[in-house]
Amino acid sequence: MSIFGDIAQAIQDTAFFTAIRESGLAYPVIMSTHLSSIGVFGGMILMTDLRILGLAMKDVTVTDMVRQLRPWKYLGFIVMVSMGIMLGGAKLAQYYDNPYFQLKMTLLFLVFVHAMAFRRSVYRNTEALDRAPEMPRVAKTAAILSLCLWLGILSCGRWIAYFERSEEHRPVPASATVPNIP
Amino acid sequence: MLAYDPATNPLNNNEWSFPLAECFHIASFAFSVGTIALVDLRLLGLGMRHQKASQILKNTMLWTLGGLIVVITSGLIIFSSDPLRYFYNDAFRFKIITLFLAIVYNYTIHRSVALKDASGAGAAATAVVSLAMWVSITFAGLFYAFT
Repeated sequence: MSIFGDIAQAIQDTAFFTAIRESGLAYPVIMSTHLSSIGVFGGMILMTDLRILGLAMKDVTVTDMVRQLRPWKYLGFIVMVSMGIMLGGAKLAQYYDNPYFQLKMTLLFLVFVHAMAFRRSVYRNTEALDRAPEMPRVAKTAAILSLCLWLGILSCGRWIAYFERSEEHRPVPASATVPNIP
Repeated sequence: MLAYDPATNPLNNNEWSFPLAECFHIASFAFSVGTIALVDLRLLGLGMRHQKASQILKNTMLWTLGGLIVVITSGLIIFSSDPLRYFYNDAFRFKIITLFLAIVYNYTIHRSVALKDASGAGAAATAVVSLAMWVSITFAGLFYAFT
């Protein structure tokens, strides 16, 4: 095993991650929390992007959307990422060389780059965006990139589970497994 | 008997269609639940306070409806991959019953409370019930996968 494999194994072997992996309840509860925060807080990210693109929430200014949702998006991001660290850490030796996992981590890093890159021109400049007769191209670009990044992260997250394990993860038709159906 | 064999379903016969259906399911779920949560946040008085609840409802309802249509359609497609296993699963049954209640609730009580721009304990309780139902549906969906 490579040095990365050894490190990943050592991380997932820590008491904390072992406990998560081996608990019948913790793992699904953490994953459900991860998914619930995608629903509640991920939806806020999507709606902010759609507002900037002029496709939703047109009665609300971009300033109101961005400012009022900022603390909730931070909270959601913290919940999503901490749940994600627990899920990923518990099975890191299995995930570290999974291309979908690697792509997801890359896209998450690009989310950070995106936030920094458009901070001054878009996200801390919303009053100017609201005053502009038409939404500036830089804001629309930021919104489209944000949509692509987050939908990509979501998709990679789902595909992690299918890498080289599609056979065992695919549901077995019930007709083959349940003999007595009333 | 149904003349349907899940083994012939495309979802069980290629590598990509099942996860793709799940991606649509989760993304559209983010649209529907995320937009409902915006109204809930306002009813709780915790966010979007510059707007009225009715204004947020009217601004989000098309996206909520669109999200619900796609989430249910993709859900039915996923269900078709193994109908009997879903049907005889307690977590799945809980999910479907709660989903039905949540949709009825969303378009009756939740909607009228938001349209009245209600505030205070009643509005907060309406929002808490709404959030609790949608989160339970998510949990049930995940717990199905682990049973």
